[in-house]
Amino acid sequence: MADKEATVYILDLGSTMGDCNSGRVESDLTWSMRYVWDKIGTTVAASRKTWCVGVIGLRTTDTFNPLQEDDGYDNISILQPLAAGGMTMSHLRELRKKIFVHDDQNAGDAVSAIVVAVDMIEHFTKKLKYKRKIVLVTDGMEPIDGDDFDEIAKKMGDSGIELVVLGVDFDDPDYGYKQEDKPKIKKRNEELLSQLCDQCGEDNAVFGTMAEAIDDMSSRPRLKPMRPYKNYDGLLTLGRSDGKGDDDDPPPKSISISVERYFKTHLAKPVSATTVVARMDDALLGGRSSADGDVDMDGAGGPGLTPVHNARTYKVPDASAPGGKKDVEFDALAKGYEYGRTAVHISESEHNITKLETTKSFTIVGFVPWDRFEPFLLIGECCQTIASRFMETSSLALSSLINALWELESFAVARIVAKDGKEPQLVLLMPGPTSSPECLYDVPLPFAEDVRNYQFPPLDKVVTISGATLAKHRNLPSDDLLDAMGDYVDAMDLSSFPGKGGDDEETEDEDGDGEEEEYCAIEATYNPTIHRFNAAIRTRATQPDEPIGEPSKVLLQYSHPPEDLVAKAKPTIDDLIATSEIKKVPPKIKGRKGRGAGKSAAQLESEKPLSGLDIDALLSSTPAPVASSASTGTVTGDPSQGTMKVEASQSQNLTVDPENSIPTFKQALRHTTSPEQVSSLVSSLGNITRELITDSLGDVNYDRAAENMRVMRDEMIAFEEPGLYNAFVKDLKKKVLSGELGGDRREMWWQIRGEKLGLITEAESEVGDTTAVDAREFYTSR
Amino acid sequence: MADDNKWRASEEEEDEELDENDYKSQKDAILFAIDVSHSMLKPPPASTSKKADKDSAVLAALKSAYQVMQQRIISNPKDMMGIMLFGTEKSRFQEDSGRPYPHCYLFVDLDIPSANDVKALKYLVEDGDDPAQVLTPSEEPVTMANVLFCANQIFTTKAANFGSRRLFIITDNDDPHALDKQARSAAAVRAKDLYDLGVVIELFPIRCGDSQFDLTKFYDDIVYRDPAQEEDLERFKASKSGDGLSLLSSLVSNINSKQVAKRAMFSNLPFEIAPGLRISVKGYNIIHSQKPARTCYVWLDGETPQLAVGETTRMADESTRTVEKTELKKAYKFGGEFVHFSPEEQKEIRSFGSPILRIIGFKPRKLLPFWAAVKKPVFLFPSEDDYVGSTRVFTALWRKLLDSDKMGVAWFVARSNSSPILVAILPSNPQPSGDEELDSGTPFLPAGLWLHPLPFADDLRDGPDPPKEPLRAGEELTKKMRVIVQQLQLPKAMYNPKKYPNPALQWHYRILQALALEEEVPEEPDDATLPKYKAINNRAGGYIQDWSEKLHDDARALNLSIGGGVKREPGDDDKPAKKARSLSKTTGVKKEGTPGAVDIAGLRRSAQAGTVSKMTVAELRDALAGLKLPTTGKKAELIERMESWAEADN
Repeated sequence: MADKEATVYILDLGSTMGDCNSGRVESDLTWSMRYVWDKIGTTVAASRKTWCVGVIGLRTTDTFNPLQEDDGYDNISILQPLAAGGMTMSHLRELRKKIFVHDDQNAGDAVSAIVVAVDMIEHFTKKLKYKRKIVLVTDGMEPIDGDDFDEIAKKMGDSGIELVVLGVDFDDPDYGYKQEDKPKIKKRNEELLSQLCDQCGEDNAVFGTMAEAIDDMSSRPRLKPMRPYKNYDGLLTLGRSDGKGDDDDPPPKSISISVERYFKTHLAKPVSATTVVARMDDALLGGRSSADGDVDMDGAGGPGLTPVHNARTYKVPDASAPGGKKDVEFDALAKGYEYGRTAVHISESEHNITKLETTKSFTIVGFVPWDRFEPFLLIGECCQTIASRFMETSSLALSSLINALWELESFAVARIVAKDGKEPQLVLLMPGPTSSPECLYDVPLPFAEDVRNYQFPPLDKVVTISGATLAKHRNLPSDDLLDAMGDYVDAMDLSSFPGKGGDDEETEDEDGDGEEEEYCAIEATYNPTIHRFNAAIRTRATQPDEPIGEPSKVLLQYSHPPEDLVAKAKPTIDDLIATSEIKKVPPKIKGRKGRGAGKSAAQLESEKPLSGLDIDALLSSTPAPVASSASTGTVTGDPSQGTMKVEASQSQNLTVDPENSIPTFKQALRHTTSPEQVSSLVSSLGNITRELITDSLGDVNYDRAAENMRVMRDEMIAFEEPGLYNAFVKDLKKKVLSGELGGDRREMWWQIRGEKLGLITEAESEVGDTTAVDAREFYTSR
Repeated sequence: MADDNKWRASEEEEDEELDENDYKSQKDAILFAIDVSHSMLKPPPASTSKKADKDSAVLAALKSAYQVMQQRIISNPKDMMGIMLFGTEKSRFQEDSGRPYPHCYLFVDLDIPSANDVKALKYLVEDGDDPAQVLTPSEEPVTMANVLFCANQIFTTKAANFGSRRLFIITDNDDPHALDKQARSAAAVRAKDLYDLGVVIELFPIRCGDSQFDLTKFYDDIVYRDPAQEEDLERFKASKSGDGLSLLSSLVSNINSKQVAKRAMFSNLPFEIAPGLRISVKGYNIIHSQKPARTCYVWLDGETPQLAVGETTRMADESTRTVEKTELKKAYKFGGEFVHFSPEEQKEIRSFGSPILRIIGFKPRKLLPFWAAVKKPVFLFPSEDDYVGSTRVFTALWRKLLDSDKMGVAWFVARSNSSPILVAILPSNPQPSGDEELDSGTPFLPAGLWLHPLPFADDLRDGPDPPKEPLRAGEELTKKMRVIVQQLQLPKAMYNPKKYPNPALQWHYRILQALALEEEVPEEPDDATLPKYKAINNRAGGYIQDWSEKLHDDARALNLSIGGGVKREPGDDDKPAKKARSLSKTTGVKKEGTPGAVDIAGLRRSAQAGTVSKMTVAELRDALAGLKLPTTGKKAELIERMESWAEADN
């Protein structure tokens, strides 16, 4: 079904094309080729074997065409014949070499070139079904023979060839361009070409100026055409339609409508990248592995990149194996699922056992009014359901449902199983009575498991600890703020703002009636990533020496509010900013040594339990930890246990308890009075951490060690002692990698790297002197 | 299980869109601490009411824990959970570390639950099977300091670097150390340790009868304000029996509201409400489609089946040489070859500036087309971290959007290098407080702003070409359908997702659980998504009949056939008349003609309008067969045959 295409580009390569005109800094040819390369690049990118491209050079030094025996066909060369198999990169490379300005003064009749192109197309496409097209790019500076236009136009009409004439600096009142001081000859040629287009008829020919084409190219990214995809074809039902009822009751009444369901929205993805490496031999040749490098070379064999594939090996835990894991053969593995941490194996014969048995169906569950539904319950792509074509009764039936929903301002909730065995999905059916044909839109709804139960405080009131509700609070907007916000939102209303598709597209009379287009209508928004990538790839392939360039304007059009509107709404914006009294929090609250360093009041507050009890005071006021623990001990009736534990935490003497390292480290730090004490605490937590690693069976203690390190790192940033941590971690890296800590501890090192527990940089702590480069260097394994 | 490949995964992370990679690494560990005392074990007063409690408080607590465990296996398969009983006669701690804490019984160690854990808990709650007599209360009181330190040790060793660690204490005793100030202080000190360790204590008080649970007596010294939680003050809702709720359901509902650790998808994103006016917001993934876990490989040659972990080596296609990560490049297929960019260029192409949510204007809500949906929404809530005053400005915007039924349109870059998208900003209604009449259709969602992703033109798809003369239902037929719609509103006139568990997901885990616990595999799935056929018939059967008759009359008046033989369902070859039969039955019409009844009028119309060429070859063959005409030949011939039939038949 794929449409076949045969397109011939006629490119004027005469000497005048080398001039720079109309204030442009690039030659007319380079400028025009921006358009042509973009077009050809798109064809190449599509990789369609049935999209064929021919190229003819006009005003070339040589003459090479099948009609050259006749008069008037001089200085016309076929640069690339139309050939089956489509357009590839190697064609493109060949072609690039042939496109240049032929400096000597050459004649060459543009219309003769069209005749050559017609001949090419006829020979190539014969009577087969093709989309035929000729694109002429010229500056119109050489005489054109104005005879035989009737015949040429007729011939093109008969063969179904579309003609596009794009002139450099041709006048185009529609687009609003007029060249001043136009040479006489050019003026005449423009008239002739325009006449030819007229004779071909409006539907078959386009006469335009190059500037418009280039503008259009960047302001209207091309959308990839997609065929309608039918993902359901069957009945839409309401009520039990299989005739089965309970007991001997009469069969239940039901409705069945034959429908087809198609995508309405489907997320388009940017071109996917392939992971490649340079070929070994190329890599050896001094790393000339980049595509552009090779494009410049003779091009044989492509640009030296080869795809990568993945080989997978499987391991299971085994305490006796080195590293705690051993390899297993893939053949010894069975498929299964994880249930918690238990592996449940499912035999080949039962592989579908966990799948719910379902039969294809599309059935309505119930109805909800519009105003009781919110769009943020829609969690996926939209489909459209229409009545089966050639089933006119279904059209009537579906139409009554669509219109009933519309009139009642209701939606339906339906359950769909697209194919036998597929998971059921609940969807919201929404009427589309104005679309053609009438349809029901549907979008998936969340199930119970899909909605997470997160609690948030109310926005519209503040409840105090004592349970009182406050009407005024710093977190609640004042009436002034509400007013200012209201004025601003109203001033920035886009619905009254004129919409513009591209830059100057209002003249399009598609919608007739001069109805204002909606600003930022979905149809006029383009996915920036997709089109930026496509453009960059096209540029790189067709013009490898060019930089990638900026994203085109149209892609960024909706990244900011429209300037005109902002200018108009300026007073309300200023008022809103003034009323809001927003204060930016300085990037980092500087830490100070000692208790409460770098903590805001709120944080300090939250370091106390709800009662506000001062635990530190409680600790200091407890004269002898031993005494307290003794009493606790007696209560528990198990002195050996309780005592030991309680004592460890209550000791105020600036040590770190290995069993309770993080809390004791943090608590002791808050009581330090000298840098020496901080240093000694760091070294004792460091010892504990190293011991954890040394004693670790496999990786069991690595998480704990890493957590100790994270706490140490954070605290040293807060205490402005990055040096202490950095010294520790440098030493640890050495010991871990040299195997000093009980053997091969590389996994531990990877964990340190992965959790970013490396050196504290200047950016993290002002007093440090470790640069980002040093920090990055630290993460390398040597 | 160590924290698998967290760091390796992050290295390989290919920024896709709003994925949850960051989010997943923040794992959650919950330790239940259930008070086993005489009062907690006391059976509820006998009652004849069906809804009355049958469970003691301990059993209710264990049942809730059992439910939570089953749910978490489905929803948070990487998260840990454990159950500790305190005040028990017996004591037990982790297997390898000997010394138990007195009267603290670690029933399920903190870990990703295993089938055995589920089984043990299941037997205990369902069969009251307590072989080890763990549910025997000790005669002497337990020391809360020990309970807390025991929890400390469990978290320290088993979930050392989890982003979220929480201790759920379930008790009815608001003053465990009434007479012992020393013990109270010791507990407070231990609680501070937990706080410094980063463990959050959630208290689930149980009230019986009219007694109050007085936090000030003890727990106010134990519990800290949760820094991650906004000022949410109704934190410890007491669970009790009564008001038609059993203790169990009251407890389950309280625990469920805390069960999922609240994790932000992004924090402190600048939200530019107007040029020059920024506030900071956090984003949450409140709605997220839960899928069954992927299959894994299991190694069966050992004593117990074990999960095999895959490792990937990359090799160059030609040489089968192993490739280092640094050699890898990204390239794009173009015209049969590769085009590639330097890493800097690659980055430049992707980059559309630093993360931002920027409003570009507002529109009335009605300008949002129904079909403008592509993916799940993001919930926004203000944060004061970067901009003081964010909350009030956010609230003002929320209020305004609600009051004037408008939406914001915004440019949204969720993180550096992620693809920019356009979103509609929509407000959700305030949550109904208490018994207030539900006035919003989404009482199950929090109040705030939602980012509803909009499609780009690239994402739009066309349907098939519309028919030249579309048929529309007449007034009368539509009116009859309206009655049906009105009859069949969902309960409370809203879609409440909580009422519809995902049948495929539930079935998957039910079977898996049965296999894992070596139980019998259930026969019939529960499927709440199936329509309530009986109710539909009772409430609207008559109206459906009316409508069907009217449809039939209209169809006859327009000379349309009711049968459906022209189109056959794929794979339905053996029973082509199935649809025709069901259609005619349900619409109460005797079907005309043979089983292969053809929509003759429709076909003729198509043939005359020249749209027969739009039919597929299969459709054409079916139609011709129905007309008793030859079905062989190329499409062009088939079309010709059809067209000449239409002409001749005229």
